[in-house]
Amino acid sequence: SSSSGHSRMSAGGNLFTRGLRYLASKEFRSYLCSTHFWDPVANWGLPLAALADVKKNPEMISGKMTTALFFYSMAFMRFAWRVQPRNMLLFACHFTNDTAQLVQLCRFTDYWYVKDEAQRQQLRRQYEDAAGEAAAEVAVAEPKK
Amino acid sequence: MSAVYRAAIKVADRFVPAKLQPLWNHEAGPKTIFFWAPTFKWALVIAGIADLRRPAERLSLTQSTALAATGLIWSRYSMVIVPKNWNLFSVNIFVAATGLYQLARIVNYRRELEARN
Repeated sequence: SSSSGHSRMSAGGNLFTRGLRYLASKEFRSYLCSTHFWDPVANWGLPLAALADVKKNPEMISGKMTTALFFYSMAFMRFAWRVQPRNMLLFACHFTNDTAQLVQLCRFTDYWYVKDEAQRQQLRRQYEDAAGEAAAEVAVAEPKK
Repeated sequence: MSAVYRAAIKVADRFVPAKLQPLWNHEAGPKTIFFWAPTFKWALVIAGIADLRRPAERLSLTQSTALAATGLIWSRYSMVIVPKNWNLFSVNIFVAATGLYQLARIVNYRRELEARN
Protein backbone atom coordinates (compact mmCIF):
# COMPACT_ATOMS: atom_id res chain seq x y z
CA SER A 1 0.00 0.00 0.00
CA SER A 2 1.27 3.47 -0.76
CA SER A 3 2.37 5.43 2.26
CA SER A 4 0.78 8.78 2.92
CA GLY A 5 2.28 11.69 1.02
CA HIS A 6 3.33 9.65 -1.99
CA SER A 7 0.87 10.08 -4.85
CA ARG A 8 0.53 7.25 -7.31
CA MET A 9 0.19 7.87 -11.04
CA SER A 10 -3.03 5.85 -11.05
CA ALA A 11 -6.72 6.72 -10.94
CA GLY A 12 -6.87 8.04 -7.39
CA GLY A 13 -3.72 9.59 -6.12
CA ASN A 14 -3.67 10.04 -2.39
CA LEU A 15 -6.48 11.58 -0.40
CA PHE A 16 -4.85 15.00 -0.30
CA THR A 17 -4.35 15.39 -4.06
CA ARG A 18 -7.80 13.97 -4.73
CA GLY A 19 -9.22 16.50 -2.30
CA LEU A 20 -7.43 19.38 -3.98
CA ARG A 21 -8.58 18.23 -7.39
CA TYR A 22 -12.19 18.17 -6.16
CA LEU A 23 -11.87 21.71 -4.80
CA ALA A 24 -10.67 22.91 -8.20
CA SER A 25 -13.40 21.08 -10.13
CA LYS A 26 -16.31 22.71 -11.92
CA GLU A 27 -18.72 20.75 -9.74
CA PHE A 28 -17.42 22.31 -6.55
CA ARG A 29 -17.29 25.81 -8.00
CA SER A 30 -20.92 25.60 -9.11
CA TYR A 31 -21.83 24.31 -5.63
CA LEU A 32 -20.14 27.36 -4.10
CA CYS A 33 -22.33 29.60 -6.27
CA SER A 34 -25.52 27.74 -5.42
CA THR A 35 -28.22 28.32 -2.89
CA HIS A 36 -27.34 24.96 -1.29
CA PHE A 37 -24.17 26.57 -0.03
CA TRP A 38 -25.19 30.14 0.77
CA ASP A 39 -28.40 29.37 2.70
CA PRO A 40 -26.53 27.33 5.35
CA VAL A 41 -23.74 29.93 5.40
CA ALA A 42 -26.37 32.55 6.27
CA ASN A 43 -27.74 30.30 9.00
CA TRP A 44 -24.33 29.91 10.68
CA GLY A 45 -24.86 33.37 12.17
CA LEU A 46 -27.21 31.83 14.73
CA PRO A 47 -24.86 29.24 16.29
CA LEU A 48 -21.95 31.69 16.16
CA ALA A 49 -24.04 34.32 17.96
CA ALA A 50 -25.03 31.75 20.59
CA LEU A 51 -21.42 30.63 21.09
CA ALA A 52 -20.36 34.27 21.51
CA ASP A 53 -23.11 34.74 24.11
CA VAL A 54 -21.93 31.81 26.23
CA LYS A 55 -19.42 33.95 28.08
CA LYS A 56 -21.79 36.88 28.55
CA ASN A 57 -24.11 37.69 31.42
CA PRO A 58 -26.72 34.90 31.76
CA GLU A 59 -29.38 37.59 32.25
CA MET A 60 -29.08 38.28 28.53
CA ILE A 61 -30.49 34.82 27.75
CA SER A 62 -34.12 34.71 26.72
CA GLY A 63 -35.56 31.39 27.94
CA LYS A 64 -38.38 31.45 25.37
CA MET A 65 -36.17 32.21 22.38
CA THR A 66 -33.52 29.65 23.42
CA THR A 67 -36.12 26.88 23.80
CA ALA A 68 -37.70 27.79 20.46
CA LEU A 69 -34.28 27.77 18.76
CA PHE A 70 -33.47 24.39 20.31
CA PHE A 71 -36.56 22.69 18.84
CA TYR A 72 -36.25 24.63 15.58
CA SER A 73 -32.70 23.32 15.09
CA MET A 74 -33.80 19.76 15.84
CA ALA A 75 -36.48 20.02 13.16
CA PHE A 76 -34.04 21.48 10.65
CA MET A 77 -31.40 18.84 11.35
CA ARG A 78 -33.92 16.27 10.06
CA PHE A 79 -34.92 18.62 7.22
CA ALA A 80 -31.29 18.96 6.10
CA TRP A 81 -30.87 15.17 6.27
CA ARG A 82 -34.02 14.37 4.25
CA VAL A 83 -33.95 17.19 1.69
CA GLN A 84 -32.83 16.37 -1.85
CA PRO A 85 -29.89 16.76 -2.18
CA ARG A 86 -28.84 16.06 1.40
CA ASN A 87 -27.35 19.22 2.91
CA MET A 88 -24.63 18.31 5.40
CA LEU A 89 -23.53 21.93 5.85
CA LEU A 90 -27.01 22.88 7.04
CA PHE A 91 -27.06 19.78 9.24
CA ALA A 92 -23.74 20.75 10.84
CA CYS A 93 -25.00 24.32 11.36
CA HIS A 94 -28.12 23.19 13.20
CA PHE A 95 -26.24 20.54 15.16
CA THR A 96 -23.86 23.23 16.43
CA ASN A 97 -26.80 25.53 17.14
CA ASP A 98 -28.54 22.84 19.19
CA THR A 99 -25.40 22.30 21.26
CA ALA A 100 -24.96 26.03 21.84
CA GLN A 101 -28.63 26.60 22.70
CA LEU A 102 -28.54 23.64 25.11
CA VAL A 103 -25.55 25.19 26.86
CA GLN A 104 -27.44 28.50 27.11
CA LEU A 105 -30.55 26.73 28.41
CA CYS A 106 -28.48 25.04 31.12
CA ARG A 107 -26.90 28.38 32.07
CA PHE A 108 -30.35 29.99 32.14
CA THR A 109 -31.87 27.23 34.32
CA ASP A 110 -28.86 27.24 36.64
CA TYR A 111 -28.92 31.04 37.02
CA TRP A 112 -32.63 31.46 37.68
CA TYR A 113 -33.62 28.14 39.30
CA VAL A 114 -30.56 26.66 41.00
CA LYS A 115 -28.61 29.66 42.27
CA ASP A 116 -30.04 31.73 45.09
CA GLU A 117 -30.55 35.51 45.04
CA ALA A 118 -27.24 36.21 46.84
CA GLN A 119 -25.25 34.31 44.21
CA ARG A 120 -27.15 36.13 41.45
CA GLN A 121 -26.38 39.51 43.01
CA GLN A 122 -22.70 38.57 43.20
CA LEU A 123 -22.64 37.54 39.53
CA ARG A 124 -24.48 40.73 38.56
CA ARG A 125 -21.84 42.79 40.33
CA GLN A 126 -19.06 40.77 38.64
CA TYR A 127 -20.46 41.45 35.18
CA GLU A 128 -21.03 45.13 35.96
CA ASP A 129 -17.46 45.48 37.22
CA ALA A 130 -16.16 43.77 34.10
CA ALA A 131 -18.26 46.10 31.94
CA GLY A 132 -17.06 49.09 33.97
CA GLU A 133 -13.42 48.07 33.47
CA ALA A 134 -13.95 47.69 29.74
CA ALA A 135 -15.55 51.14 29.54
CA ALA A 136 -12.70 52.64 31.59
CA GLU A 137 -10.15 51.12 29.21
CA VAL A 138 -11.96 52.73 26.27
CA ALA A 139 -12.02 56.07 28.08
CA VAL A 140 -8.29 55.87 28.79
CA ALA A 141 -7.53 54.97 25.16
CA GLU A 142 -9.55 57.84 23.66
CA PRO A 143 -7.45 60.87 24.77
CA LYS A 144 -4.41 59.27 23.14
CA LYS A 145 -6.06 59.39 19.70
CA MET B 1 -42.37 4.63 18.90
CA SER B 2 -42.54 4.51 15.13
CA ALA B 3 -45.02 1.62 15.31
CA VAL B 4 -47.33 3.83 17.39
CA TYR B 5 -46.90 6.68 14.89
CA ARG B 6 -47.61 4.48 11.89
CA ALA B 7 -50.73 3.04 13.54
CA ALA B 8 -51.99 6.53 14.35
CA ILE B 9 -51.38 7.70 10.77
CA LYS B 10 -53.23 4.66 9.39
CA VAL B 11 -56.24 5.62 11.49
CA ALA B 12 -55.98 9.29 10.52
CA ASP B 13 -55.73 8.39 6.81
CA ARG B 14 -59.27 7.07 6.92
CA PHE B 15 -60.64 10.34 8.28
CA VAL B 16 -59.07 12.65 5.69
CA PRO B 17 -61.82 13.77 3.25
CA ALA B 18 -61.28 12.80 -0.38
CA LYS B 19 -60.80 16.41 -1.52
CA LEU B 20 -57.88 16.94 0.86
CA GLN B 21 -56.18 13.62 0.08
CA PRO B 22 -53.68 15.08 -2.47
CA LEU B 23 -52.62 17.73 0.07
CA TRP B 24 -52.43 15.22 2.92
CA ASN B 25 -50.26 12.85 0.87
CA HIS B 26 -48.15 15.57 -0.80
CA GLU B 27 -44.40 15.00 -0.70
CA ALA B 28 -44.01 18.31 1.14
CA GLY B 29 -47.21 17.76 3.09
CA PRO B 30 -48.07 17.44 6.78
CA LYS B 31 -46.68 13.91 7.00
CA THR B 32 -43.17 15.16 6.12
CA ILE B 33 -40.46 17.24 7.74
CA PHE B 34 -40.53 19.62 4.74
CA PHE B 35 -43.83 20.90 6.07
CA TRP B 36 -43.16 20.89 9.80
CA ALA B 37 -39.68 22.40 9.83
CA PRO B 38 -40.69 25.69 8.17
CA THR B 39 -43.95 25.63 10.14
CA PHE B 40 -41.96 25.30 13.34
CA LYS B 41 -39.92 28.35 12.45
CA TRP B 42 -43.02 30.34 13.43
CA ALA B 43 -42.11 29.48 17.03
CA LEU B 44 -39.11 31.78 16.59
CA VAL B 45 -41.47 34.58 15.55
CA ILE B 46 -43.75 33.94 18.53
CA ALA B 47 -40.79 33.87 20.92
CA GLY B 48 -39.53 37.08 19.31
CA ILE B 49 -42.87 38.81 19.80
CA ALA B 50 -43.01 37.60 23.43
CA ASP B 51 -39.51 39.03 23.89
CA LEU B 52 -40.70 42.51 22.86
CA ARG B 53 -41.62 43.03 26.50
CA ARG B 54 -38.05 42.41 27.69
CA PRO B 55 -36.16 45.54 28.74
CA ALA B 56 -33.60 46.60 26.15
CA GLU B 57 -30.63 46.06 28.45
CA ARG B 58 -31.47 42.33 28.69
CA LEU B 59 -31.47 41.74 24.93
CA SER B 60 -28.60 40.03 23.12
CA LEU B 61 -27.17 42.13 20.30
CA THR B 62 -25.51 39.18 18.54
CA GLN B 63 -28.64 37.03 18.60
CA SER B 64 -30.90 39.79 17.23
CA THR B 65 -28.40 40.54 14.46
CA ALA B 66 -28.12 36.86 13.58
CA LEU B 67 -31.91 36.44 13.47
CA ALA B 68 -32.42 39.57 11.36
CA ALA B 69 -29.67 38.52 8.91
CA THR B 70 -30.86 34.93 8.57
CA GLY B 71 -34.48 36.11 8.13
CA LEU B 72 -33.57 38.54 5.36
CA ILE B 73 -31.31 36.14 3.47
CA TRP B 74 -33.72 33.21 3.67
CA SER B 75 -36.61 35.44 2.57
CA ARG B 76 -34.74 36.11 -0.64
CA TYR B 77 -33.63 32.53 -1.17
CA SER B 78 -37.05 31.00 -0.60
CA MET B 79 -38.15 32.96 -3.68
CA VAL B 80 -35.14 31.82 -5.70
CA ILE B 81 -35.47 28.10 -5.09
CA VAL B 82 -37.69 25.89 -7.21
CA PRO B 83 -40.50 25.53 -6.29
CA LYS B 84 -41.05 28.84 -4.49
CA ASN B 85 -41.83 28.24 -0.86
CA TRP B 86 -44.30 30.89 0.34
CA ASN B 87 -44.52 29.39 3.83
CA LEU B 88 -40.75 29.70 4.25
CA PHE B 89 -40.83 33.19 2.73
CA SER B 90 -43.52 34.51 5.08
CA VAL B 91 -41.99 33.04 8.22
CA ASN B 92 -38.57 34.46 7.38
CA ILE B 93 -40.05 37.91 6.69
CA PHE B 94 -41.47 37.87 10.21
CA VAL B 95 -38.21 36.54 11.72
CA ALA B 96 -36.34 39.38 10.01
CA ALA B 97 -38.92 41.95 11.13
CA THR B 98 -38.81 40.97 14.82
CA GLY B 99 -35.01 40.67 14.69
CA LEU B 100 -34.64 44.13 13.14
CA TYR B 101 -37.07 45.67 15.62
CA GLN B 102 -35.17 44.20 18.59
CA LEU B 103 -31.91 45.34 17.01
CA ALA B 104 -33.28 48.90 16.74
CA ARG B 105 -34.30 48.80 20.41
CA ILE B 106 -30.83 47.64 21.49
CA VAL B 107 -29.03 50.25 19.37
CA ASN B 108 -31.29 53.04 20.65
CA TYR B 109 -30.81 51.95 24.25
CA ARG B 110 -27.02 51.84 23.92
CA ARG B 111 -26.96 55.25 22.22
CA GLU B 112 -29.02 56.70 25.06
CA LEU B 113 -26.64 55.13 27.58
CA GLU B 114 -23.62 56.67 25.87
CA ALA B 115 -25.35 60.05 25.63
CA ARG B 116 -26.08 59.94 29.35
CA ASN B 117 -22.43 59.06 30.12
